[in-house]
Amino acid sequence: MKLQLILALVVAKIAMYLSKLSGRGRGSSLPGMLALRIYPDLLKHYQGQPRKGVIMTTGTNGKTTTSNMLSDILVYAGHQVVTNREGANLITGVATAFIKASTFTARLNCDYAVLEVDEAAFPGVTRWIKPNRVMVTNFFRDQLDRYGELDTTVSRVLDALKQLPENVKLILNADDPLVARLARETGQAAIFYGVRPDGALSSAAAYSREAKVCPFCGGTLVYNIYLYSQLGDFMCPQCGFARPQPDIEAVGVTSGGSGTQATICAKGLAKGIWPMYIPVQGIYNIYNGLAAFATALSLSVVPEKAALCLTTYTPAMGRMEAFRYGNKQVTLTLVKNPTGFNQALTALLAQRERQDILIAINDNDADGRDISWLWDVDFEVLAQYLEQFNRFICSGQRAEDMALRLKYAGVPAERLAMERDYQRAVEAALQGEGAVAGILATYTALWPVGKILRQKAERVIIGANRVPSVS
Amino acid sequence: MLTVCHLYPDLLNLYGDRGNVQAFTQRCRWRGLPVQVKEVNLGQPVEFAEYDFLFIGGGSDREQALMATDLKNRVDALRMAVDKGLVVLAICGGYQLLGRYYRTPQGNEIPGLSLLDFYTEAGEQRLIGNVVIEAELAGKKTNIVGFENHGGKTFLNGLKPLGSVLSGHGNNGQDGLEGVRYKNVFCSYLHGPLLPKNPVLTDYLIALALARKGYAAQLVSLDDAIETKANQAMVERLSSKK
Repeated sequence: MKLQLILALVVAKIAMYLSKLSGRGRGSSLPGMLALRIYPDLLKHYQGQPRKGVIMTTGTNGKTTTSNMLSDILVYAGHQVVTNREGANLITGVATAFIKASTFTARLNCDYAVLEVDEAAFPGVTRWIKPNRVMVTNFFRDQLDRYGELDTTVSRVLDALKQLPENVKLILNADDPLVARLARETGQAAIFYGVRPDGALSSAAAYSREAKVCPFCGGTLVYNIYLYSQLGDFMCPQCGFARPQPDIEAVGVTSGGSGTQATICAKGLAKGIWPMYIPVQGIYNIYNGLAAFATALSLSVVPEKAALCLTTYTPAMGRMEAFRYGNKQVTLTLVKNPTGFNQALTALLAQRERQDILIAINDNDADGRDISWLWDVDFEVLAQYLEQFNRFICSGQRAEDMALRLKYAGVPAERLAMERDYQRAVEAALQGEGAVAGILATYTALWPVGKILRQKAERVIIGANRVPSVS
Repeated sequence: MLTVCHLYPDLLNLYGDRGNVQAFTQRCRWRGLPVQVKEVNLGQPVEFAEYDFLFIGGGSDREQALMATDLKNRVDALRMAVDKGLVVLAICGGYQLLGRYYRTPQGNEIPGLSLLDFYTEAGEQRLIGNVVIEAELAGKKTNIVGFENHGGKTFLNGLKPLGSVLSGHGNNGQDGLEGVRYKNVFCSYLHGPLLPKNPVLTDYLIALALARKGYAAQLVSLDDAIETKANQAMVERLSSKK
């Protein structure tokens, strides 16, 4: 038994070493996969080892960003943290993170494990590792052919949360009815975060809204204000289920230029007001920051420290990652579902500069084999602001389908190009006449496109100059 | 003026169903044919006789049950409109609903609208993946591409299918048939969505709707370069797999 464990760890660590040596692959899942094959009960050896606790993040969008933000805050506050930073969020990725940080006898030396966990993998991971905090970001439609319908995803997470010991605290998005419901349904203690309903933020696009019916009584939800997708100030007139009052709330959110800012008002956990600045565009990053901030406070991190740390946040690959090519600003964004794609389009429109757009769509398993979700993305907004765009270059295995989608959204055919070859597609975007190039890619297209981009353009770390001296 | 009825868009908008309505209306507009869309949701009044094209999509189980209850109250009016040649496209869950029943794994029969004489049984595993079928529209053979994702297996009882499966599962993964055709009603498991990538089918539906109004003129042809590429890319991918 013990021998099997050691064998699993040795094999995994050799795989890790080889992957690092060859420079091929990132080695963020394969070592864990090998180890789990040799010794399926591996994860139970890590349960209880992090001295101060385990924090998991799950939900559809924003897992990587939220989890990385919290990990940064905890490190900044002086804790030792084990984390699956690269976004490998299946059970294999979690195992890899633990193996990497542990000895050959599975001993860990850390205060916290901060883990991003895929919503479909959540029940499997929590069977072995019991979290003390669970951040739930949101539930949107995502890769239906892989997860089944959204109802199924939510109920699987719900069931897993119910199984957790009573000392767990849930950190929940108050603005998403599908997340907020988890407090009542699991009976677990909850901390809510949210964005104060403000007409100025309200989005006109009511596309692909998810929860139109109340999860408790089946009545139709009424919204005072929509922020995006089904997020907003909601209420069920039939049974009274409504947006809970957040413990941590962002007020006066603005996004554009170099980042996103807001003021945080805290009522629960701590009382006070702090400025929040995140050097990445997109209002959705405020949600990620709020979740990390709320969780940090619940772990007794000083609020000022948490807020300060967020100002230096460096996005993970493809999370509105910024580059420079000559005088041209370039952003690289991962797109994987309608809500995330709509948010990325909103962020591009906010730049108010003429731009070339490259969209690379693949349909491998990790991207979702069914690409019909592209028709739930509100590309019609691009056609409304056509003067802001130069050319739309469509790439990836489904370049033609992407071009087709844009055509029916109202983009004239002469603005559309199809180029399946990534190299030529990236070059076309960089050499376009626009002052900005916006590059969007699905998961398996992100790596090849990102690699080409890195060779040609210089990565810009917006937060770099703003880092206050850290003692 | 062609009037399109998008039935229950609030409930049934899985898999980019909206794209089907968009393809129908855009291809009318690009030809200068006036067209309008009316979205009808649960409980709202609907006069099927007023419409030229009715679209019913698919939803999750819960949403589909809500729609079935609502539609049952309107079935007589719908049957009358269908008999008078109303052009209908029903996808996935909308397709299953028009048949006699859906038999659950426990053997319970959930009654459908019985507008068409086919039935559906729960399968052991979901049928998922890219599909190419061959259909005959206006006397011409054409390849129709799409993506299927359904748990139910549908059997036609001798009704005419939309096409025969070249690659993929189709109605049940057994008899090589996909979808169903009855009068001007077209049903299919293919989303993706169906109409944008299959302009021949879309134009056929438009022509049927126009003919029913007494406009039998030939449709102006459009530049379908992108549509054709998207269609052929999938046909080639699936035929090279074999």
